[in-house]
Amino acid sequence: MKNVIEALSHWELLEIEKPARYLGGEVNQATAKESPALRTCLVFPDLYELGMSNLALKIFYETLNQRPDIVAERAFSPWPDFESLLRRRGLPLYGLESGMPLKDFDVIFVTLPYEMTFTNVLNILDLAGLPLSWKDRIDGPLVIAGGPSASNPLPVAKFMDAILIGDGEEAIIEICDSLIAAKKAGANRSETRRALTKVEGLWVPEFPGPVKRRVFKLFSQSQPPLKPVVPNVQAIHNRAPLEIFRGCMKGCRFCNAGFFYRPKRERSVEDLVKYAGDLLQNTGEESLGLLSLSTSDYNNLEDLIHSLDKAKLYPEQSVSIPSMRMNDNTIALLDATPHIRKGGLTFAPEAGTQRLRNVINKNVTEEDIISVMKATGGSDYRTVKLYFMMGLPFETDEDIYGIVDLVKRLEAIGKTTKPRKQISISLSGFVPKPFTPFQWSEQASMAELKRKRQIVCRGLENGSSRVSWREEFLCLLESVLSRGDERIGDLIESAFRNGCKFDGWHEFFSKEKWEKAFTETGVKAEDYLRERPVDAQLPWDFIDFQVPRTYLENEYRLAAKAAGEQP
Amino acid sequence: MNSETTQSRPEVKIRVEYSKTSQSRYIAHLDTIDVICKALRRLQLPYAVTQGCHVRPKISFGPPLPLGHASYCEYFVLTLTGPVDSQALSESLNRELPSGMRVISIANPYVETRNGNFGEKLHYRFSFTRAEIAETARQWLLNPETSFAAESKGKTRTYAIRSAVLGASLAENDSLILEADFIQGQADVPSVSKIVTALAGFLDAQKDCLKLIERISLSELKQKQEISST
Ligand code: SF4
Repeated sequence: MKNVIEALSHWELLEIEKPARYLGGEVNQATAKESPALRTCLVFPDLYELGMSNLALKIFYETLNQRPDIVAERAFSPWPDFESLLRRRGLPLYGLESGMPLKDFDVIFVTLPYEMTFTNVLNILDLAGLPLSWKDRIDGPLVIAGGPSASNPLPVAKFMDAILIGDGEEAIIEICDSLIAAKKAGANRSETRRALTKVEGLWVPEFPGPVKRRVFKLFSQSQPPLKPVVPNVQAIHNRAPLEIFRGCMKGCRFCNAGFFYRPKRERSVEDLVKYAGDLLQNTGEESLGLLSLSTSDYNNLEDLIHSLDKAKLYPEQSVSIPSMRMNDNTIALLDATPHIRKGGLTFAPEAGTQRLRNVINKNVTEEDIISVMKATGGSDYRTVKLYFMMGLPFETDEDIYGIVDLVKRLEAIGKTTKPRKQISISLSGFVPKPFTPFQWSEQASMAELKRKRQIVCRGLENGSSRVSWREEFLCLLESVLSRGDERIGDLIESAFRNGCKFDGWHEFFSKEKWEKAFTETGVKAEDYLRERPVDAQLPWDFIDFQVPRTYLENEYRLAAKAAGEQP
Repeated sequence: MNSETTQSRPEVKIRVEYSKTSQSRYIAHLDTIDVICKALRRLQLPYAVTQGCHVRPKISFGPPLPLGHASYCEYFVLTLTGPVDSQALSESLNRELPSGMRVISIANPYVETRNGNFGEKLHYRFSFTRAEIAETARQWLLNPETSFAAESKGKTRTYAIRSAVLGASLAENDSLILEADFIQGQADVPSVSKIVTALAGFLDAQKDCLKLIERISLSELKQKQEISST
């Protein structure tokens, strides 16, 4: 079959929600190429609207399609209505640009943005008609993954021909060149994979490590994607994304992203203003999104924002800054620039007391939050959102009561402002992540997380704040999936066979199906949730993360010291 | 472009008629508006903007096209603050629209005439894969007894299609093509979208024989039209 899209009838398309998700043809879509040397498909294992907002996908799409000899198409997880249609008709999943079945591509690149997409990846392979395990795939495309949730690649090693650890911009081109050379030489699959081991950052599960995390050193001078595909169904973030810097050196001890994207590399104001112009010109998006892990840490933020304001292309143009740490300076800057989209005020103190914030090295003080609340008293900011974690290392009940105290103090200030501020609290269980100073820590149990959550809920039940929380089982599952070894592949596969998919979507997540998968595979969650001795060998130690283990050990000790304990 | 100067210039309207075919017919109405507004921004046209806290281009669209219907008569009316060349605009807009959307014509300047709200008259073309199904559909549309139940504002109600169908006939030289005229947008008159859905329900297992639904022309009614006159 050449084009799966053509096999879908009008009435079938009308049965599904938002059929435009599955039809391609958007503005800036890559044009077809005559006999390319390599056909690649970029797979995002979640819905179109989310994938079309994903920056990595835009970067790889543009990087690969700029090459005259490489084609890069896109595929996303089909929503269950469309999946049923494909399965009912016996049609395979396909690339949106050509409708060509995934199994006819030379390579599939899978982005793994969060652990809860792992079962979706298996569903995509299954819908493509490909065996799930790399060992069982004797023909068809190679499947190569990458992304922050593959920083410990072991849980997905069973399914992948190769996994990239770190930045992908240069590596993806090297991978493609290696595959083109292998194709020309008529190499078999194993020879092709062996050749891939030469790409820095790429781990091929067939062969032992070590692997060194790939760092894109030329990020600052590199051009970001400037002509991304404009979605035909409104994406979750309706904005043109511009990555102003990569990496973060704040060193919060719980933060995997902070270590995964090190070191901090900034683009210059001059380049960014030019890129912003091109990006808006090419997309027509109303809003420009300044992206980074922590935008307030950009060296020249004021200069950047003023320069962008001067270079406005159209009257309704606005700027959105999704990860801005609020303090008096940033508030003054936001107030002085009316075209910045003002959502709510967002704070991530993560812990309820200064003691615990020192332990986790989170640089947000109570004074900061209170002073911003007061400073924005009469302004447009009506909502205040605060993120807290529970079950952090060295946490005591005092720290949990600290969350209640802090929120009550903010409620009192919020009441005095006009208009009144609506405070919402988001609680989540802490998940220890590989390659962070807390990689050795114990995962708090469900009972413990629930008990702590109840302390917060009871403490705030007479107040005006809204409290929401992440289901405790999800935290434990994420913990197993992120600190797992190769056996976790069986667990993921069993969960998928039990019908798990869209695990990040509340309406689809099934605790029972995952519990069944634990039982069926004999995987004991406790083995992965327990504390590990600092000198113990960790499954992911074969990866040189470019953050020395001794540094992480020392940070762990410093955390213990800040807590007045021995690790 | 600066919004203050934009607002002080004399405004002129243009009406852009465009087609929506192939895969673009599955882009929903609100997404279509979004896609067009982005195209206008990419072209940096001197469009006027609305006042208020959320500034938007001054633009209005024709009646929503049901999802999956192709059309050769979609339009939007855009207010500009400076002159544009229709030919150049048509060419540049065509480069900026998704596959399947093309500019047909531009009325420039466009003088809007307010007709009151009498709804619109629509000419449709239905393409079938089997002539006998085309004929069945024609009879269904023309039968004064045809009625169907459909949801409206959360309630199920029964519609008689005789109030909506002006005529239906097979194309002279092609028995697979059924052409039909409808009115819609008046009280108690079912929309073409509802009629087509009901027709598909009537054809049931044969509905796949109706492979393409195209809105060929649309004109606003200048007064309330009674079907009995046809
Ligand atoms: S939590 Fe934010 S500020 Fe802290 S290290 Fe991670 S990205 Fe940086």
